[in-house]
Amino acid sequence: MGSCFSDLKGAKQAVGGVNAQTGTTNNNNDAVDFFYTAQGFQPLFTHVELSLSACNLLDLDIASKSDPMVVVYAKKGDGRLEELGRTEVIPNSLNPEWIEKISIAFHFEMVQPLVFHVYDIDTKYHRVPTKTLKLSDQDFLGEASCTLSEIVTKPSRSLTVKLQNKRGISGQRKQGAITIHAEETVAARSAVEIIFRCSHLDNKDILSKSDPFLRISRIVESGGSVPICKTEVKDNNLNPKWRPLCLNFQQFGSKDNPLLIECFDFNSSGNHALIGKLQKSVADLEKLYQERKGANFVMRSTRNGQEKVLKGQLFVDQYCEKEQFSFIDYVSSGFELNFMVAVDFTASNGNPQQPDSLHYMDLSGRLNSYQKAIMEVGEVIQFYDSDKRFPAWGFGGKIPGGIVSHCFNLNGSLTSSEVVGVEGIMEAYGSALRSVSLSGPTLFGPVINLAAQMAAASLSSYNSSKYYVLLIITDGVVTDLQETINAVVKASDLPLSILIVGVGSTDFKSMEVLDADNGCRLESSTGRIATRDIVQFVPMREIQSGQISVVQALLEELPNQFLTFMRSRDIKPLVSQFPHPSTIL
Amino acid sequence: MSQTIEITILSAENLQENKKAIKGNTFVTVQCDGSNNEVSTTKLDSEGGSYPTWNEKVVIDLPLHARFVTIEVKYKTRGSSSNSVGIARVPVSDFLGGYVHENQLQFLSYRLWDNRVMRNGVVNISVKVKMSQQNSCSSSMSSTMNGVPVTGVPVAGNGSCSRVATGIPAVWLNYQRHI
Repeated sequence: MGSCFSDLKGAKQAVGGVNAQTGTTNNNNDAVDFFYTAQGFQPLFTHVELSLSACNLLDLDIASKSDPMVVVYAKKGDGRLEELGRTEVIPNSLNPEWIEKISIAFHFEMVQPLVFHVYDIDTKYHRVPTKTLKLSDQDFLGEASCTLSEIVTKPSRSLTVKLQNKRGISGQRKQGAITIHAEETVAARSAVEIIFRCSHLDNKDILSKSDPFLRISRIVESGGSVPICKTEVKDNNLNPKWRPLCLNFQQFGSKDNPLLIECFDFNSSGNHALIGKLQKSVADLEKLYQERKGANFVMRSTRNGQEKVLKGQLFVDQYCEKEQFSFIDYVSSGFELNFMVAVDFTASNGNPQQPDSLHYMDLSGRLNSYQKAIMEVGEVIQFYDSDKRFPAWGFGGKIPGGIVSHCFNLNGSLTSSEVVGVEGIMEAYGSALRSVSLSGPTLFGPVINLAAQMAAASLSSYNSSKYYVLLIITDGVVTDLQETINAVVKASDLPLSILIVGVGSTDFKSMEVLDADNGCRLESSTGRIATRDIVQFVPMREIQSGQISVVQALLEELPNQFLTFMRSRDIKPLVSQFPHPSTIL
Repeated sequence: MSQTIEITILSAENLQENKKAIKGNTFVTVQCDGSNNEVSTTKLDSEGGSYPTWNEKVVIDLPLHARFVTIEVKYKTRGSSSNSVGIARVPVSDFLGGYVHENQLQFLSYRLWDNRVMRNGVVNISVKVKMSQQNSCSSSMSSTMNGVPVTGVPVAGNGSCSRVATGIPAVWLNYQRHI
């Protein structure tokens, strides 16, 4: 029940502006956040700010209009709601545009369901800080829910959802709609590219010269340092010039934050000798570049503990600030991730009728490893695929007709491999288990080649805005390792990422060579080397015990792989064809 | 009759000379196995050492029957001579007629083999296949003979092709009868 007159004084108070939170972390627990920040653990994921507005809200006050406020929740895995933040109260408005933004970290690898509750705040609470309001005392105006990925993939990143009663039952009256707009913090996009050079470095090697490299760390509040990046090693060189180093603003915070730059002599034993260090902020480095001066390294002398100024100097040969488009920039402008699945039908899985088979479909509804992997990966990626038509294949099985195929359509069709939605994949998987008999061996080559053909075909179309993701679920070590490597190398220059999940209890050590995370680029049998690392491999067993699911481990790298491909070819997000929507529908 | 290929020699990694880092000025030569005398050379990189970068574009005309493009990384020794660091033989089928169509930029990397057939680093290139003469004929209809579009192979003798005949245009047969 509202009162007759709205609170004018409360309405005139400033919201936002200078008093807005400058922190970008979730303020669920300030103490925890400050602890982590002091240790240097800045979150590395993108931060997104949600701006909210609504229209046609219910009018619950008698003489004036409702005074609405929104509370934003994240829905956790067990269904429980965790509050992320609240907007301010806007008095006397059925079409409010709230100024206060809710900050949330965008995790590509998770489905992030959000719930919005709109309340009408009683006048007597208007001057109380919104955080202390007890929601059970307020009038409920409506609820809306969506996922964060739904918002960021829309053109102009705005999503409008109708408000409903709690528990999703539409009320008899029209309750209006809420519009959520997501904006990335500017820091996500800015980067600086620097070329470092040194002169007159001290010689730390006995028989030859030093092999120097630089390590750049961020100095944290507790006084220690957290490494951000390092250059490559220049062998046998006391006046090295390294390749350009790209630092994202998110890594070093602000241009005035002091950075620790250390120069080491590389030793293959791992015990690198410190040649010298110095402390400069990014703004200082910019000045070094402009004045073309060098900065001397210092070294703590062992004798008297004082800092000795060395002859070695650091120069900045190039300093340039760049705008890098972020992953959200691309997906919101129309870029899509096309999902493809390949399922292992080799005999090592075990007879699907037996409960110990990896393909056993439990009647109680418990998902087997294959279904789990498909569900978890598919559920995240489906938001990024506009038509939700996914090609699905099986390999290593004997299809009706008697021949063993290493790339057959899971839906049983001879012409099209596509199924609709994650449910479509599950259905096709179930029906294939009944009609295909398990055989062998485990060959990835044909599936990877087919996926590569599809990715290449999209490259030649007018605006290549598709990126393909192939999920291969297998229970065994691949038989044709070199053939698979050849297929991967051939596809390494295409807009394709290959995610491999290993299920079951096999030892997958020999498969890890496909995932070139150790730095060894894959080499084909013809001498061609993979242009980029497109394979991510994770054995499902390893992840069961921890908190991270298989999906998160696999998908974490995907935005980076996508961005490296787009940036290397200078492909920019599509120019938006939609004007910024007005908030009043 | 040939295809025009734009190869940009980007960089090389992990080069060694006698198990030690390269000190001299490195450069790259490109030639295809069709025309033996045409060798394109890049500029020198004096600072890169074992990790040189050139970023230089080389345009070569690839005869139809060529099967390899040979990329050789060398470094200059005293005088005007040079030593070879390693060779990569790029099969033409890797960038022509594969997955990717013409006019697309492709980034490729190859293993370099030295003269003792040992691995010696990696060379990174990017390749763009320009629309070939033959295709541009049929698509642009700009070169016609008596108003009829030409879709066959031009007759040898206009100096642009090497010693291989790949087909006889039907029109030629008419001339033959009159000789």
